[in-house]
Amino acid sequence: MLQQIAMTDQNAFAIAAAIYGSSFLMGVITLLLRRAYPRALMFALLCGGFLIQTLGLNLRGAAIKACPLGNPFEIAQFLAWSLVLLFFIIGPAFRLRLLGFFTAGLAALLAGGSFTVPGWDRPYPPGIFGGNPWIELHASLAIFSYGVFAILALISGMFLIQQHGLKKKQFKGLYQYLPSVQQLDLMARRLLITGVLVLSASLIFGAVFWLNNHELVPIFKLTATCLLWFGYLLVLILRLQKKLVTRRHAIATITLFLFAMASLWPVESAREPVATPAERSLPTQP
Amino acid sequence: MSDVLESFFVLGISHHSTPLAVRERFALSAAQTQELQKQVSQQVGIRECLILNTCNRLEIYALADSVGHMEALRKFFCQKQRLPAELFRQYAYSHKNLEALQHVLEVSAGLDSQMVGETEILGQLKQAYQHARETECTGNVLNRLFEKSFQAAKVVRSQTAITRGQVSIGNIAVDLACRIFGKLDRSRVLLLGSGEVGEKTAQALLSRGVHDIAVSSRTFENAHKLAHALGGAAIDFADFTEQLEHFDILICSTAAPGPLLSREVLARTMKQRPERPCFIIDLALPRDVDPSVETVENVYLYNLDDLSSIANENLEARKGEIDTARTILKKHAWQLWLQLRRRDLMRRSS
Repeated sequence: MLQQIAMTDQNAFAIAAAIYGSSFLMGVITLLLRRAYPRALMFALLCGGFLIQTLGLNLRGAAIKACPLGNPFEIAQFLAWSLVLLFFIIGPAFRLRLLGFFTAGLAALLAGGSFTVPGWDRPYPPGIFGGNPWIELHASLAIFSYGVFAILALISGMFLIQQHGLKKKQFKGLYQYLPSVQQLDLMARRLLITGVLVLSASLIFGAVFWLNNHELVPIFKLTATCLLWFGYLLVLILRLQKKLVTRRHAIATITLFLFAMASLWPVESAREPVATPAERSLPTQP
Repeated sequence: MSDVLESFFVLGISHHSTPLAVRERFALSAAQTQELQKQVSQQVGIRECLILNTCNRLEIYALADSVGHMEALRKFFCQKQRLPAELFRQYAYSHKNLEALQHVLEVSAGLDSQMVGETEILGQLKQAYQHARETECTGNVLNRLFEKSFQAAKVVRSQTAITRGQVSIGNIAVDLACRIFGKLDRSRVLLLGSGEVGEKTAQALLSRGVHDIAVSSRTFENAHKLAHALGGAAIDFADFTEQLEHFDILICSTAAPGPLLSREVLARTMKQRPERPCFIIDLALPRDVDPSVETVENVYLYNLDDLSSIANENLEARKGEIDTARTILKKHAWQLWLQLRRRDLMRRSS
């Protein structure tokens, strides 16, 4: 029966979303039943989901002959993929408990949620980035930085939960499995620096393209992206000056991530496909 | 004179019915307790007495000529401590005769403790008894009663698993510190006061990787001695607030009559270290730290009641053992009651 299922990009994305979803569900059940948190199993499931999602992105990339970031569906998939990739970097290195559980939840929401709006996976002509490697790098770096901000928002959420537990003298349940507030706060600072650096690099590469192609970049997209970058930069400056720390810092990073997610849809709607050099040379229709 | 056991009673306040803020007002120092015990024993109609004063309870055990003396004692206590009689009436409890006897046994076995099954109360009760006996505040009846209660406590501990799964304040403090700081090897601890509970908590933190510990006490010699035992340094009590910003964990267990740390002091300290959390364990009664400190960002304040309620979270699992322990103590209480009555009857007939 399995042989009858063709491994298309859509199938791969669906299987990956299902694996992320079941990992999260397993975590919820374990925590509700107050059983030992299955860290190794969670890691293995996320590995499986990530590999299948990589395959899906690979198939899609081969089909469109570019980095698959041409519509909201692909952006959501790429974002979920970046998030899980970052978990593999951060999770084992810093041993942040329950990070896998929260990552699985958000990845399932992004990867699975993108299937709920069929219009998101609208077709677009191959070579959407006009064959310009710089703009392709800009787009992939921007979405990767969103992945960093996604995991930053997760860690900030975990910080707020742990802090709430400590302030309200809660000892059992989810609280006992979460990492310490100091670990989470330190990790949030590191991720904020990383995210701002990646987003800045993405904007620099994008600016090179924009300087030569003013008319091809919608003003709404430019404004939203610059606002987001400025917001994160401001939070970073205030954080380094120790003026925006702990709880307020966590709230600020979650708010900015929600803004980033909310701005994705209008940004994508405002985007006009970049014409390929061949298309540009075509005479306009009467 | 009425039947000797018809006039045995206990009058007190404890964590069961009295919040920490009210218990603070009833708190007595060791010297005040001894003084009060002496004065109670000199009251008309009081034949024997013992005062048990811990951070969770203040109880007056008395054997009087009649139960009517309980009201007189209540009035005397409020007058002596300058406490409103209404407040005492609102929070105090009393037990008489067999009920009071059962209560003594449950207290000594740790069943009535805030952290059910703890054994520290037995030591405190033994100490109170020793002092009362030395000062001749107790006589034949209370001596026998308390000695039997110590035996019953041992029986309960050996025949039930009441102490199993029991969590100490030190262990809870360590778990909470780990939830705040993660690894404790870089955390700096300041122990305020040289009390036993504070020392045990500090030792629990040391056993989990804390390297840097300092002790500050009103008596510098005590601080120095304790600091030496814990492998740390002693700091001057007069200016410990100036050095607060260097410490991550603060254990307070002084006998100060009022708060040593206000919200303003902590807010000022936290401005010096906004990114680093501060964990305060207030084990003192009256409390050393103003409760409003809790509202300072990045400060986590836990007092005795908070720690005890955490310790009792696994109480449901031990409910069966608690019930068994209570049944054993009921048998002991009844046997002791009969023994005391028999002795009283024999004394009367002879």
